[in-house]
Amino acid sequence: MSGELNNCAAVKDFFALYLYGELSFDEEERVESHLDKCVDCRKALERQREVQVALDNIAIEPSPALLRSCREELHMRLAEESQSGSKHGFWERFTDMLTGRSAGSGWLKPAGALTLVALGFGVARLVPPGAFGSGGPFEMGMVEPASRVRYVEPASDGKVQIVLDETRQRIVSGGLNDQKIRVLLLSAAKDPSDPGLRAETVEILNGSAQSSDVRDALAFALLHDQNAGVRLKAMEGLKPFAQQPEVRAAMTQVLLTDSNPGLRTQAIDLLTKGLNQDSPSMSYDRQVIGAMQELMQRENNAYVRQRCKTALEAVKASTETY
Amino acid sequence: MAQKTGGQLEETALIRAAQGGDSAAFEQLVRAYDQSVLRLAMNLLRSPEDAQDVYQEAFLRVYKNLDKFRFDCSFHTWLYRIVTNLCLDHMRKRKVRKEEPTIVATAEGPIDRMDAVPEERVDGDPQRFLFSGELRKRVKEVLAELTPRERMVFELRHYQGLRLRRIGEVLGTTEEAAKNCLFRATQKMRAALGDFI
Repeated sequence: MSGELNNCAAVKDFFALYLYGELSFDEEERVESHLDKCVDCRKALERQREVQVALDNIAIEPSPALLRSCREELHMRLAEESQSGSKHGFWERFTDMLTGRSAGSGWLKPAGALTLVALGFGVARLVPPGAFGSGGPFEMGMVEPASRVRYVEPASDGKVQIVLDETRQRIVSGGLNDQKIRVLLLSAAKDPSDPGLRAETVEILNGSAQSSDVRDALAFALLHDQNAGVRLKAMEGLKPFAQQPEVRAAMTQVLLTDSNPGLRTQAIDLLTKGLNQDSPSMSYDRQVIGAMQELMQRENNAYVRQRCKTALEAVKASTETY
Repeated sequence: MAQKTGGQLEETALIRAAQGGDSAAFEQLVRAYDQSVLRLAMNLLRSPEDAQDVYQEAFLRVYKNLDKFRFDCSFHTWLYRIVTNLCLDHMRKRKVRKEEPTIVATAEGPIDRMDAVPEERVDGDPQRFLFSGELRKRVKEVLAELTPRERMVFELRHYQGLRLRRIGEVLGTTEEAAKNCLFRATQKMRAALGDFI
């Protein structure tokens, strides 16, 4: 892979690795020096980028139901494994405690059951008390004050259905503007145990991003969610509000801290949207320029760095920090 | 991008606790990685049943061998060695890979992974719409053409976001060999998607 990159076909072979940021310094240098003088290859690189984006979007995200099923089966198989006697590990002790199988441990049975109950309550995220008072629009009646949002689903009539885990699952429904529904959705958007639920919730909340409390929740998801898919959805919801100071602040932070290059690229695009070539300096605030200059120093991804450089050059800002 | 040091320290403590028989620590370890394990298996094997088999087998092996883990590499690398070997075995056993359907059964019903490419990206432009549809078809064909190793390296780099150095560690090879493998995969894609690139 160290041959001369002096013709277009050879350069194009390296585009994918170039976009992955996986070329050596010399290889990257050769690609970039060719791109500087070849318009056709610059266009071809853009098309390659579109292919990469299309590939991004064909990934399958396993459903939360499949993940739950896997976890339950694993739990059972680990219990069987320890019962087989091949390993006297913690699992055996744990399942023995729950089932009361250990000799002379009859008293452990209720203790084990109590542990499960306690675990159940411990794992459940409690919906804030008072979220559901008497009355209200719910078709299924009142919701218990201690409930966990399990699923959210948009309904055809513009309302939203929410499945709660209480002592049993129940369905409540209501409009997005209903404060009680809103409280549940904002809470579900932060559920640490279920990224599928968070993604679905954020997508629904995106339709109400004109409300500041929803924007706050989306900004929180954008900055703190561990799942890049959820962060991308939150970014989508905040796009129309990219000129709002708090949204710009969140996107500036994404620029510098998010591990996903796609999100960093989108942040550059949104922060530099509406660029006026005639009076470029008025189109950016100092904080954004400073953040982009800082990004130039630390960015490993060649594509993101190039986008950032282009944006800075468009406003005649230095690509260096001082 | 930050918090690595704290996270790694916490993980080391979890592994040591699990090695000492702490079931809650083992469960935390499983939950820290099981979603990405399932995602990798699902995308490579495109079958929920096969993905579930890989998930079970991988974590059972982790459970049985955790006391042998000596921190010579990261837990992530160790786990992914197990998972990628299982996936490669599955892929190699499939004699009819080229006829593999892209339609997969999920909890929400059958879906075609190629249909997951969102059409809204084409912004309603009819020419772009055709571009997008044709692109999907070609991507479907070329993914089926890759060898299991090329497919694995491509999935790990593109979808799991692993750097080539880490991929080399996971697959028990060098960074350069992983790079060559990715290069071949992307060249095959470029050849198949020639009209687009």
